[in-house]
Amino acid sequence: MKFDALTEEHLDALKEVSNIGVAHAATALSQLIGKGITLQVPKVHLMKITEVPEAFGGAERIVVGIYLQMLGDARGNILIVLPRESALKLLSRLLPREKSEGSLLTELEISALKEVGNILASAYLNALGALMRKTLIPSVPVLSFDMAGAVIDYVLIELGEVGDLALMVETEFFGEEEKIGGQFFLLPDPESLRIILDAIGVKL
Amino acid sequence: MSRIVSVGISEFKIASAPTILMTYGLGSCVGIALHDPVALTGGLAHTLLPAPVRGMDSMVKSAKFTCWAVDLMVEELIKCGCVAERLVAKLAGGATMFEPQHRTTHSGIGERNVTAAKEALERRGIPLVASDTGDDYGRSLEFNTVTGVITVRALQRPIKRM
Repeated sequence: MKFDALTEEHLDALKEVSNIGVAHAATALSQLIGKGITLQVPKVHLMKITEVPEAFGGAERIVVGIYLQMLGDARGNILIVLPRESALKLLSRLLPREKSEGSLLTELEISALKEVGNILASAYLNALGALMRKTLIPSVPVLSFDMAGAVIDYVLIELGEVGDLALMVETEFFGEEEKIGGQFFLLPDPESLRIILDAIGVKL
Repeated sequence: MSRIVSVGISEFKIASAPTILMTYGLGSCVGIALHDPVALTGGLAHTLLPAPVRGMDSMVKSAKFTCWAVDLMVEELIKCGCVAERLVAKLAGGATMFEPQHRTTHSGIGERNVTAAKEALERRGIPLVASDTGDDYGRSLEFNTVTGVITVRALQRPIKRM
């Protein structure tokens, strides 16, 4: 399915399913850190690949990117972007000891953040899968701590092979007390988009 | 004051002295800079993929693909008064941002981008005079069209000039 063939109705449906997915992910995160998490209304971005770094808050913003593939009955990419400060705050809640000096992440911290990504993506895909009556599973998460532009170009590779547009469903989340926040992005493959919309009963 | 022109993913831009060409956050993407030291004119591309996959090669030619970026820039540079024989090239980027165990369908994309750029330069007979590629970190480039010098900035690393 071509991204530019999508109607408002399609986009609204995508927002709605993503909202349900992220709500489950937020509950999981909230249980993990023992604090409430609030969600913003999801946004759907349909844009040229060239414009994507801007949507991530600028190519040079320093972020932790946790990347997973959506596998199973529909395929796509999931990217969880945590601003540096937010990732460090999250770590201070998850790991007992004080954060060491310097801003590179230790093996333990990387592992903890990947696990967070895994929990978020699993909760998201479980909810999405239940809604679609399909099986969706996340791949093993990988992590990169770098400039946003460098982190996301990897996600654009598959999309770039088949076209010049990227479709991203973005949901921002915030901790109620702590300065923990981030963005959850789902980038469905053009082919899988049809499967998702079809499964939730939206006319194509 | 020199003007700054920014180059996005899958784009290329041409500029003359004293303009600075910038591109931000190259991960597995590769930055290809061509410079004519006499005309003081250069081009910078930020390419995403090495080459189109089969069946997709009818796409409009753009700097999204490394294999086309050099050709497109050379054509444009010549239109702007550059001489092909004077052009020199510099490369940066082509990193591996995520651990290798995960790379399935796009395994080694950074490396393949660098190889594709080198091949495209060779086809055009443009000498590659400097490069800063590979490894596992993102890079931002600042290309001075007066001197041809490229400044490479990366997180937690000293600034490199080449």
